[in-house]
Amino acid sequence: MNIRILLRSMTMGALAIPVTVGFGLWTSPVQGGGHVSGDITMIKGPHSADEARFEAMIIDDFKAVEPGVNVEFTTYDWANMNAELTAGFASGNPADVLYLVDLIYPNYAEQGALLDMSDLVNSEEWAEERALIPEFAWDLARQGDGTWGVPVLGAVYNIFINKDLLAEAGVLDTWNNSYADMMDAARKTTADGVYGFSVRSRTGDFAFWDWFPYVHNAGADILNDDWSGCGLWGAEAATQFLIDMHEAGVTPPIGSMSTQEQFDLFKGGKIAIYHGETPQIGELNANPPGFDWDVAYAPPGEHGQTVMGNFGILSIASASPNQDAAWEFVKHWASGPQVGRFAEQVNLQVVREDIIADMFADNAAMRKVQQEFVPRVQGIQPHPQILKILQSIWPVAEQAYRGGMTGEQVIERMCAITDEILE
Amino acid sequence: MNDTTVSATEHRRLRRWLVLRRNLTAYLFLAPALVFFGTFLVWPGLSLFVQTFQTGGVMSPAVFVGTENWERTFADPLVLKTIWNTLRYCLMAIPAVFVIAMIFALALNSISVGQTAFKTMIYYPTLQPILIAALMFTFVLHQDFGVLNIVMRAIAGEPVNFLGNEDLAMPTIAMVEVWKGMGFWALLFLAGIQNLPKDLYHAAELDGAGPVRRFFQLTLPLLKPTFFFSVTFATIVNLQVFDSIFILTDGGPFHSTASTTWYIYRSLFTFSEPGYGATLSFVLVLVVLVLTAIQSYAFRDRR
Repeated sequence: MNIRILLRSMTMGALAIPVTVGFGLWTSPVQGGGHVSGDITMIKGPHSADEARFEAMIIDDFKAVEPGVNVEFTTYDWANMNAELTAGFASGNPADVLYLVDLIYPNYAEQGALLDMSDLVNSEEWAEERALIPEFAWDLARQGDGTWGVPVLGAVYNIFINKDLLAEAGVLDTWNNSYADMMDAARKTTADGVYGFSVRSRTGDFAFWDWFPYVHNAGADILNDDWSGCGLWGAEAATQFLIDMHEAGVTPPIGSMSTQEQFDLFKGGKIAIYHGETPQIGELNANPPGFDWDVAYAPPGEHGQTVMGNFGILSIASASPNQDAAWEFVKHWASGPQVGRFAEQVNLQVVREDIIADMFADNAAMRKVQQEFVPRVQGIQPHPQILKILQSIWPVAEQAYRGGMTGEQVIERMCAITDEILE
Repeated sequence: MNDTTVSATEHRRLRRWLVLRRNLTAYLFLAPALVFFGTFLVWPGLSLFVQTFQTGGVMSPAVFVGTENWERTFADPLVLKTIWNTLRYCLMAIPAVFVIAMIFALALNSISVGQTAFKTMIYYPTLQPILIAALMFTFVLHQDFGVLNIVMRAIAGEPVNFLGNEDLAMPTIAMVEVWKGMGFWALLFLAGIQNLPKDLYHAAELDGAGPVRRFFQLTLPLLKPTFFFSVTFATIVNLQVFDSIFILTDGGPFHSTASTTWYIYRSLFTFSEPGYGATLSFVLVLVVLVLTAIQSYAFRDRR
């Protein structure tokens, strides 16, 4: 071949490549309707053994509208989430989209690891969607001057009752009228091998979730109103009630069982009033125990009858190189059809008000939790130090449940620890 | 015969050159190891020390805070508690594992048939990942269905809350670690015993020394170098106990099993306090150094 012809062919070929690629890039979004492109990663703790499959459904639907974006899904281990997320942020190459619970995101936000999404969530194009999420959920996503994510899911810490055991003891209709009635029911249902009442006690099991409703019902909280000091003053009697429950011998021996073991005991018909969380409803529906059960919440205190819930938000890493694509994916994940389907798949609550009425049509317990319990939810205070405070004060309660301390002494010590951390 | 002579100055110069060349050769041979030592030990050690005077530095830029972390360390009651818990654990686990391992080593040394099979059986627990070991011990210790508690119930009528009782949780963790570690130490002691000079034992036997006397007056003193290595190594490893505590108790009940390493992990990853975690790590290094120095002194050759 003539060398000149060969060179001319190569030049034409080289010119053709960018023209073809450019045309392809110009035409593909039009075909798919999308307007962003690139690769993004999403990280989330698994809410189900089928998490990857459920996420693949969400991603496939996203690809249909945004074909230019590749989403890779990965998970972190709930027990080691802080270690894994910290390592990710420290690497400088964290996941673009992160599912973070209200307990841990404030610390990451304070350290600048998350993108302040205030402008994105308050933009006019998303105003309609934003309005569908209630203000209490937005409060949980706000810390300092920023909004650090879009609230999507919630897990309610509810009580499970064995209706057969309570009915046999004649307390089915009265057991949660008051703390005294609850104690009475626990005593009456406790028999050989059957415990009337159970709450988590171990720090590693995040036992404070079960304690929260009693604290909130007493009008107290971990921090005071301006988050400058301890807010637990007022929770002495409620804490004393839980100590009394343990001292009354109506609970499994303190520290002997993890939350899963307590749940196994409940499924075996050996616990009358069990403190658990809503994802366990799925297990009870899939493998119905040999007794009639229901979901419930703690008796009213002096200041109300609340339910504890912790919520998950979808955040974007401040180091993400593709924040536009990440925001598109967050909007897609948080949209009614996607978050609604996922919540039903894993038995979690949603915060969007537009889909609540249609959700859990075949799941009476979840429907009850979603419609009756969620409006009562009082979540945590998203302070950057909240996890440290909770994990530092909980051993005091763990010790008190074993006896030798009064509710007053517990709160006094907890407040001393809290104030020291806040200093 | 070569009658070349050199002046005294020239002789000194040549001598200095010879010494320098010898040293340079030695350092060149040492260089790969020194680079490795510097990169993976000296440099991280120095960085750790610098971090003790900082806050942040992992997700956010490091900020110099002077001696704040050190002051906090000395004022934090949990630091003292975790150091005491770690030492308590070492005092339980190390002597126990050594006594049991020595018994196994002596037993293995005395058998000639099936020694390899027994060695494999004894070493097997050491190969188990801690997760498997923890799960196995759940079935042994659980208050309701644990094998040990079924026996306890039959004998004493009451089950024992091994991991939920603040007095029993740490000994229980030590027991799990002893079970896991005894195979390693048994084989190490066996190797030591098998390398002892046989003629000394023969002579002692002829002099009428029984097995007990031979053990205390020959085996134990002759194994002193092995013991020095074992005690030092076991102390360093056990002072860093973490995984069994993290899996079985997560430091509970109410910090009765919280070790120093557990607290370092918590400070670094749960509370995002790298400066404080670095300071705690440095405290642990100091504890290890002090204990190793004491052991070196205790095992020094008094001849």
